[in-house]
Amino acid sequence: MNTPFKALDEMNRLTSPFPESVAVKDWKKAGRKVIGWYNPYVPEEIIHAAGMLPFEVTGDNEPVQMQGAERYIFSNSCSKIRTCWQLQLDGKYKFLDGLVSSSMCDQDKRLYSLWEYYNKLPYLDLIYAPRKRDEEAVKLYLADLEDFRDRLSLSQLRRIPDRDLADSIQTYNRGRELMKQLYELRKRDHPPVTGAEAVEVSKAAARLPRERFNELMEQLLDEIQRTGREIKKAMRLMIIGGDLHNTNQIANLETLDVVVVADEMDIGIRRAWGQVDTTLPPMEALARYYVLGRPVDKHNWISDGRLEFIGEMAEQYKVDGIVSEDVRFCTYNGWDRFDLKKQMDKRGIPILVLDVEYGENWSGQMKLRVEAFLEMLQNQAKAPTGKSPKK
Amino acid sequence: MSTDNLITAEELAKQIKMAAEGIKKKPGLMKSTAGYMELVHKYVDRIVTAKEKGKWVATHGTQQPLEIYEAMDVVGLFIEFWGVISDVVKLEAVPEALSISASTGTPGEVCSFFRNMDGLMHAGKWPHTDFLLYATSSCDNVKAYHTLGRRYGIPSFGLERPYYPYTPQAMEHWKNEHKRLIAFLEEKTGKKLDYDRLKETVRLSYRLTELVLEIDKLVAHVPSPMSAECFGGVLVAMRLLPGTQDAVDYLTSLRDELQERVDNGIAAVKNERFRVMWSCFTPFWDPSLLGYMQQKYGAVSVCEVLARWRGEAKWMLDPDDPLGNLAYKTQNSPGNCQYSSSIDWAGQVVDQARQYKADAAIFNNNWGCKQASGLGPLVRDELMRQCNVPSLNLNCDVIDSTFTSRAEVEAQLDGFFEMIEASKAYKERRNLK
Repeated sequence: MNTPFKALDEMNRLTSPFPESVAVKDWKKAGRKVIGWYNPYVPEEIIHAAGMLPFEVTGDNEPVQMQGAERYIFSNSCSKIRTCWQLQLDGKYKFLDGLVSSSMCDQDKRLYSLWEYYNKLPYLDLIYAPRKRDEEAVKLYLADLEDFRDRLSLSQLRRIPDRDLADSIQTYNRGRELMKQLYELRKRDHPPVTGAEAVEVSKAAARLPRERFNELMEQLLDEIQRTGREIKKAMRLMIIGGDLHNTNQIANLETLDVVVVADEMDIGIRRAWGQVDTTLPPMEALARYYVLGRPVDKHNWISDGRLEFIGEMAEQYKVDGIVSEDVRFCTYNGWDRFDLKKQMDKRGIPILVLDVEYGENWSGQMKLRVEAFLEMLQNQAKAPTGKSPKK
Repeated sequence: MSTDNLITAEELAKQIKMAAEGIKKKPGLMKSTAGYMELVHKYVDRIVTAKEKGKWVATHGTQQPLEIYEAMDVVGLFIEFWGVISDVVKLEAVPEALSISASTGTPGEVCSFFRNMDGLMHAGKWPHTDFLLYATSSCDNVKAYHTLGRRYGIPSFGLERPYYPYTPQAMEHWKNEHKRLIAFLEEKTGKKLDYDRLKETVRLSYRLTELVLEIDKLVAHVPSPMSAECFGGVLVAMRLLPGTQDAVDYLTSLRDELQERVDNGIAAVKNERFRVMWSCFTPFWDPSLLGYMQQKYGAVSVCEVLARWRGEAKWMLDPDDPLGNLAYKTQNSPGNCQYSSSIDWAGQVVDQARQYKADAAIFNNNWGCKQASGLGPLVRDELMRQCNVPSLNLNCDVIDSTFTSRAEVEAQLDGFFEMIEASKAYKERRNLK
C-alpha cells in the first residue's frame, strides 16, 4: 500500500465536490467570476489575465445518465459532449459566468450552440481553432485571439493589459514546468505515482486557481522526493485517445499488475508539454504556443506528427503496451486508428483499442480484454523473439 | 472479404448512360429529367476519360473552388456523389465497401461517404485520383483526406477556412489559401493557371448562380412546378459542375421548363397537400422515396437546404478579380452554414421555410454525421418557434441501405404527415376548417 500524498489529497479536497467545488465556492465568495472552457484551443492565460477563473467543463469520476441531454443532441454524438450538457441540465454548472470554446471539433461547436440557444450565459465566445500547423494558421489564430481579448475586455469594462498577460503566461508556464517534472519522474523503472493519480493532477490543473495549483505541485514534487515512493508493478502501460476524466477507471486498471506511466491525452501530456515563449509579445507568444508549441493532437488534419509522438513517448517511457480509449463517435480518433496500429506495429509496440463511452466505469468486459492483452504482452516478453520494445 | 459487388467507374458510366437513354422513353416525367441524367453521365464520364484527355482527377470535399480545377484541366470527383451514384446504380455496392473499410479498423461511427471511399481505396476500386483536395468548411472527416493520401501515396492539400469568415483578416487569409491551392496544383500538374480561362469559368459559375436563384423563385410557386424526378438537378449542377457550360445549359433548360409549367398551371401533383423541405437530402439509398411521398401524400419537396443560396448571392464583386470573387463565393456557398453555429443554420432553415411556404421539414440524422446529430433538435425547436413548422428526424445512414429499412421510413412518414394534417398550424396555413 502506497502512502497517499498530502498535496494530492489537498488537490482532491479543493476540487470536490465536482464541479462546484470548495475552490470554486471560495473563488465566487470573493465576488470573482468563473469562465468555463472545454477544448484545448482556448488559452486559459487570457481568461486568467482578465482576473477570472478558467474552469474546464467536463464530466468526472462517474458516468452520467444522459437521457435528458439526448432531447438536445442525438445519441450518435460524442458522449463527452452529451455528458457536459446533461450536467448543465442538472444544474451542475450554474456557477459559470461564461463559456468559451473553439471550432476545433464539430461536436464541441454544437455543444457551444446549445449553450447559446438554450442557456445564454452572460459571456459566451467561440474562437477559431486551426487544423494546420503553419505560420498562416498562427497569423489567423492570433488575429482571432486578439478579437477574443477585445470582447472579453469589453465584458469586464477593462482592457486586459499586456503586462497581466505576461504575468499569467509565467504562472501557467510554471505549472507546465512542474507537471513536466512529474512526467519525467514517471520514466523511472518504479514511478512514484500511479496513472490515476497523475490524471487527478492534470484535472486539478484545469479546476484550481493556477497559483494554488502550482503551490500544491511544488509540495507534491517535494513529497515525492522526501518519501521515495515507488510503484512496483510488472508492466507499464500508456493510455491514448479520448480524454479520460473518470480516473476510477484507470485506478481499477491499475489493480492489475500494471502501472500507467504515460498518456497522450489533451488533459494529460499536452497540458504539461512546451512553454510559451516569454521573449515575444504575449499575444503572439500565446498564438505560437497553442498552434505550434504543443505535440500534434488528433484534431490536426495532418496527424503524422501525432502518430510519431505517440511512438516516441511509448519508447521514452518504456511501455509494454498502449491502451487506446476511443470514445465512440470521435471522428478524429477513428481516422487515426488504422495507421496508428501500423506504425506501432513497426515499432514493436502492441496496442489495444477499447471502444468506450466517455466516463464509462471499469467493467467486466473491459477487465477481460485488458487481462487478455496483458497475457499477450507477457507471452511476447517471454518468447525468445518477442516483439517487446527495447528497454 | 467479398468485392464482387463493388462497381468501377467505367461500369457506373455505362449503367448511367443506359439509364439516361431509358428515361427518355418513360412517360409522365418532366422533360428535364433526361437532361439531368445526361448531366450525371457527363460528370462520371469526365472522370473515366480524364487520363486519355490529358487531364487530372481530384477527389474532393465541399467548399472547393471547382472553377479553378476547371481552368486547370483538373476533373473534380466529389466524394459524397460517389457514394450516392453507387447506391443508385447498385445498392449492394456501398454496404460492401463499408464492410471493407470496417475490416481495416475504421470505426463504423464515422461518415459513410468517407468510409465508402476508404473501403474502395483499400480494394483498389476508387477511381484513379491524382490529388485529394479539401477544406475545413465541411466537417471533422476531412482528416480522412490526408490520412488516406498518406496511406495510398496520393498528394493532398487542404484549404483552411476561418471560423468568422467576413473579418478583413479572414478574407485575406481565405484568398491566400486559394492562391496556395493554385500553387499546389501548378506544382503537381506542371501547368500554369491561365487567368483568362479562370475568368471565363468564374463567369459561367456566376451565370449558374443566377439561374439557381431564378429556379428557386419558380419552385417557391404554389403549387410547386418542380416534380420529384428533377429535384436533385440543381444540386448536381451547382455543386458538381460550376464553371462549365454543361451545367449552365442544363439549368437554363430546367428553368425554362419550370417557367412553362408555372405559366400553364402544371404542378408537381394535382393536389399539393404538403410542401416539404429537406436538410441533407433524402436517404440516397432509395431515390424513389421523393416520388413515393409525392404520390401517396401529395407531399412535394420544395427545398433542400444544401442547395439553396442565402440572400441575393451576389458574389461577383469584381469581374477582373476572379480569385477574390471565388474566395467570396466559397465562403457563401450553400451548405457552408454547417460550419457555423447551429443557430445560424437554424436561421437559414427558418428563412427557407418562409420563402418556400413549407408545411414540414425532414432532416436526416445521418448516423456518421456529427454536424447533424448535434443540431437537429435545435433546428427543430427554432422552426417550431418561428414558423410552427414541425420536423421529422429520420435516423438513418444516407447511403447505407442496410441501416434502416424502407418500411421503417415509410412508417415514420405516415405518422408524420397524419400529425401535420391534424395540426392547427397546418389548418390555419391552408385555410382549412
